[in-house]
Amino acid sequence: MPAPQSSCADNVTKLYREHHGWLATWLRGKLGSSFDAADLAHDTFVRLMAGRRRQEAGAEPRALLTHIAKGLVADHWRRRAVEDAYLAAVAQLPAAEAPSPEARALILETLHAIDAALRSLSARTREAFLMSQFDGMGYEEIARAQRVSLSTVKRRMQAAFAACLIAYQADAP
Amino acid sequence: MNAAIDPAILKEAAGWLVRLQSETLSVADRAAFDRWRARSAAHEAAWQRAEAMLRGFGQVPPRLGGQALRQADRAARRQALRALAGLLVLGPAAWMGARELPWREWRADLRTATGEQRRVALADGTELVLNTGSAVDVDYSPTQRVLWLRGGEILLTTGRDPAPVHRPFVVQTAQGSLRALGTRFLVREEGGRVRVAVFEGAVQVQPARTDSGLVLAAGEQTVFTAREAAAPVAADGAAASWADGMLAARNWRLADLVDELGRYRRGVLRCDPAVAGLRVSGAFPLNDIDASLRLLEKTLPVRVSRMTPLWTTVGPRAAVTH
Repeated sequence: MPAPQSSCADNVTKLYREHHGWLATWLRGKLGSSFDAADLAHDTFVRLMAGRRRQEAGAEPRALLTHIAKGLVADHWRRRAVEDAYLAAVAQLPAAEAPSPEARALILETLHAIDAALRSLSARTREAFLMSQFDGMGYEEIARAQRVSLSTVKRRMQAAFAACLIAYQADAP
Repeated sequence: MNAAIDPAILKEAAGWLVRLQSETLSVADRAAFDRWRARSAAHEAAWQRAEAMLRGFGQVPPRLGGQALRQADRAARRQALRALAGLLVLGPAAWMGARELPWREWRADLRTATGEQRRVALADGTELVLNTGSAVDVDYSPTQRVLWLRGGEILLTTGRDPAPVHRPFVVQTAQGSLRALGTRFLVREEGGRVRVAVFEGAVQVQPARTDSGLVLAAGEQTVFTAREAAAPVAADGAAASWADGMLAARNWRLADLVDELGRYRRGVLRCDPAVAGLRVSGAFPLNDIDASLRLLEKTLPVRVSRMTPLWTTVGPRAAVTH
């Protein structure tokens, strides 16, 4: 039987009161910034409330909160890595080719979306996708470079597109 | 607009994307595609999403997108490697003073001293990393891009050449030449022979004194002399970890590890035969070889003794006479 709404909310309030402090401190240690730590601590509780795992928190909420927070920290660094790599790449472009500030934000969001979508795929599938979408290589060329059959390249590309479509929010650029 | 679409339909949409990108659809295929789209509102929405996605990809400048995502992958691997070593996370630029130099000259000689590493961006977008004690001459002409490896070890990530006419990318060594086919690979001169490992793309290996060469695919490595190239074997994925300032060893003989560490510091670093066969795994910082040696002392029954500043021996911890 589902618990009444109010007791759920009370439960989360209680969790927040008891655990927000050490969680924020732990995150600050991981991230080196109290702003980022505050954001991620907040996100951790949002994730906890949104998830169906709230009940699991039960007697040992620390383990679950730490587990969620660890995932968020990994995402945070991954996003930071994409951002750094992107800025480094932009810095190398001649001024005339550099994208406008508005375009930059859109591009970065697209790169984050692609990166997140492709993360679960194999390295060779990811590479085939990058060769095709960004290096301008045709499928046959990719098949030669990866020394696999054309149908393998097609299968990899379909897997990559499907992962992107599933991850892609309709309101993304 | 943002309603959840059945993943099965999205997979079908992905299949159509692949077909549209890889072949010219016949009239009948075209009609089949239209029927697929018309099958339900969800099918049409799936296709709208696919088109919106492609438009998004189209806004990313091509070279930049691939470069940024591959670089991010490498950065993530670096992070994992550091976690393995249980080391503090430092900024990526902190390693061994590795630095980015804009390099616009057509010809240049690049050198690193023992213990030094250097990261150079060449004019065509190629990234060149020189490991300790290495020397490279850059010789770009209107018809080809040639790097002469005079000694040592380099890691290359070739860029897409902006020149209007395609210029092959070739690494020349005393033992033969390597032609890169859009790629990231490592070349190491080992005195009379050359080791090549390919991580992305492919490399054509051509020993100097024979007609038969071979093509190495991603994930493969070989050793070649002027006369012949050995059959390819699986490349050690961590072979290029030195470019991130770490040496990753997996079940290495201690003697091999000590030899390798010795390349990064001046003087003689020797391994006592009594402990040469011990097996070692781990990640060792290359910017501080003494710290790496201390790490060995912590994890293995060995003692590092410094006879003179230039003569260091890794031997058994207990005084063993033999």
